[in-house]
Amino acid sequence: MIVPFGHVLLLAGLLFVLGMVCVVARRNLIMILLGVEIMLNAAAIALVGASLRWQAMEGQVLVLFILAVAAAEVSVGLALIVNAHRRSGRLDPNAFHRLG
Amino acid sequence: MDPILLAALTATLTPLAAFGAIVLATRRRPGLSAGLAIGAVALALAGALFLLARLWGLEMSVTYTTRWMASGSLEIVCGFLLDPLSVLMLTVVTAVCLLVQVYSLGYMAGDPGFARYYAFMSLFAWAMASLTVAPTLLQLYVFWELVGVSSYLLIGFWYAKFSASQAGKKAFVMTRLGDVAFFLGLLLVLTHLGHVEITRLNAGAAAGLSGHRLTVAALLIFGGIVGKSAQFPLLTWLPDAMEGPTPVSALLHSATMVAAGVYLLARLLPFFSLAPTALTVILAVGTLSMLLASTMALVSRDIKQVWAFSTISQLGFMLMGLAAGGYVAGVFHLTTHAGFKALLFLCSGVLIHHHGTNDIVDLSRRGARRQTLAVACLAVAAAALAGLPPLSGFFSKELLLAALAAHPNPVWLAAGLLGAFLTAYYAFRLIFLLLAPPAGGMEDAPAPHHDAPPGVRGAMAAPLVVLAGVTLLLGWAEKPLARFLAAGGGLTPTAAGHHAWLPFTAVGLAVAGVALAWWEFGRRQAPRVGFAERWPALGELFAQRWYLDHLYRLALGALVDHGAAHLCAQGDRRVIDPTVDGLAAGTVAGGRRLAVWHAGRFQARLLALFLVVAALAVTVFF
Repeated sequence: MIVPFGHVLLLAGLLFVLGMVCVVARRNLIMILLGVEIMLNAAAIALVGASLRWQAMEGQVLVLFILAVAAAEVSVGLALIVNAHRRSGRLDPNAFHRLG
Repeated sequence: MDPILLAALTATLTPLAAFGAIVLATRRRPGLSAGLAIGAVALALAGALFLLARLWGLEMSVTYTTRWMASGSLEIVCGFLLDPLSVLMLTVVTAVCLLVQVYSLGYMAGDPGFARYYAFMSLFAWAMASLTVAPTLLQLYVFWELVGVSSYLLIGFWYAKFSASQAGKKAFVMTRLGDVAFFLGLLLVLTHLGHVEITRLNAGAAAGLSGHRLTVAALLIFGGIVGKSAQFPLLTWLPDAMEGPTPVSALLHSATMVAAGVYLLARLLPFFSLAPTALTVILAVGTLSMLLASTMALVSRDIKQVWAFSTISQLGFMLMGLAAGGYVAGVFHLTTHAGFKALLFLCSGVLIHHHGTNDIVDLSRRGARRQTLAVACLAVAAAALAGLPPLSGFFSKELLLAALAAHPNPVWLAAGLLGAFLTAYYAFRLIFLLLAPPAGGMEDAPAPHHDAPPGVRGAMAAPLVVLAGVTLLLGWAEKPLARFLAAGGGLTPTAAGHHAWLPFTAVGLAVAGVALAWWEFGRRQAPRVGFAERWPALGELFAQRWYLDHLYRLALGALVDHGAAHLCAQGDRRVIDPTVDGLAAGTVAGGRRLAVWHAGRFQARLLALFLVVAALAVTVFF
């Protein structure tokens, strides 16, 4: 492995924090969904790096699972966002603070 | 069972049984209720007489006690204390109760509350009879309160009448004031001595209290006596208590209720005599009450109120005598007073019942003098009240004055003699007012209250005759009674210096009082104006009862309405209301603030979640 494992973890951590900030700070539902995707991918990078480091396949298998889950999540999430936008005409998460 | 115990149980518990039976079963049958009550009190009298006869022979005291409650080292007993004093008082109480209840058959005939009346009378008889034989102060206190309750019920018997229910309340509350003091004194004795047994207190156990504490305890207990016996400054409830039916007044004024106070003092006299300061206070209060009440009686036009004031003054006189060390004198006067005061009220009741008015002048105008028996008995009783020989009042008053004469301070004797003069004057003022034909001639008697059937009249006449006989004869029992009382009381009668001049002075003053009353009210062409009324200011002062009631009303207004009530209102408005309102407003505002976190701001929640996880990670890994 050419790249040191520590660097991989650092990259994954940075990406995760970026995604987190995106989720917490942005005022747009689509950008929040993107932030969640970035956080998932940061976890995936860490898993791939670990699988290389210990020469084990489980990490890469898990990454495939994460990709599948992320795809499902995006489709459901986008559908919800489209529905919410149709109902209220807005994408600001703070506009949806009521039940019902 | 021991016959003495059986008799004591009979004498005290049968009226309670009658009360229970009337309340539970025979409420709707007035005749049967009256029969039950009278039968019960007659049984009680029989028991009391049996006890008197037995103890007369034995000349000792008998005590039956059983444990009532125990707490730690504290043990309180209940039972019977039968000594000459209590048995004599028990006899007087049951006898007067019996006579009054028989009399009420006539007086209360046709009253819608007839059965209720007899139930209350039985309750009253039970409470007072049990009070006399109580061996501990605590038991005495219980019945003391019961006496207060039953007199409240009877004074306010005609509760639909506003003044009657007010008078009942006044009597209850004012005596309660004294009772609170009594209870505090009782607790003081109990906490410092660990018991409240009367015989032990009298036998000198109270010497275990330090001087000041003893004086305070004695004065507190005397507070109860002041309330119960309507002494200064709590004397204003008794004249108002006239709102009750007249037989109730007779009972209240002679043997029960007010007599309870004097009885308590006599009961605890050895205990009180350990506190000379308290005795001086008692002397002063008794004297003040006696003179105040006598002056009030000088100008009253209400026949019952005159006797009510005379009760206050005679009770004050008894307190004076007892406090001066005249144990036998005080108790003897209590006994004779019970007889002639009951007679006075019952005779007045006959007149009031027949003519339907309390006003002396009205009674006279409506021909009260035609009721020969009642007026004759009234005159006998008034003469006894005035202390004319050979009636019972003469003997007991003479004993009391002798006791006062033995006291080193001559002021008390002088006050007593002045009181005797005033008493004779106001008693005979009333008699002469009743007897003398009024200036305007006699009205044709208006239709009397209602025509009484002969049986009713007999029921009202018989007690009068009996009581008049007692008033005539009881005086001769002075010597044996004194010996009897001294035997059980543990008190040797103080060897009063024999003052040969004293009886003559006393009788002379009484005769002078009668003569003055005759001069002003009795003779033909009498001015029919009393000497007190010649000075309008003085007459007004006496008629308004020295403005005591006004003073109390003002004080109550200042203290309660403008003082405590105002303070409470201010506290409520300024402190409690803002606090409660602030609490509520704060809760609402805090809720609003916190509710923000509950609104669906998921980004904020996510941030919190992340921060918490990060903090957890930091603490776990580093």
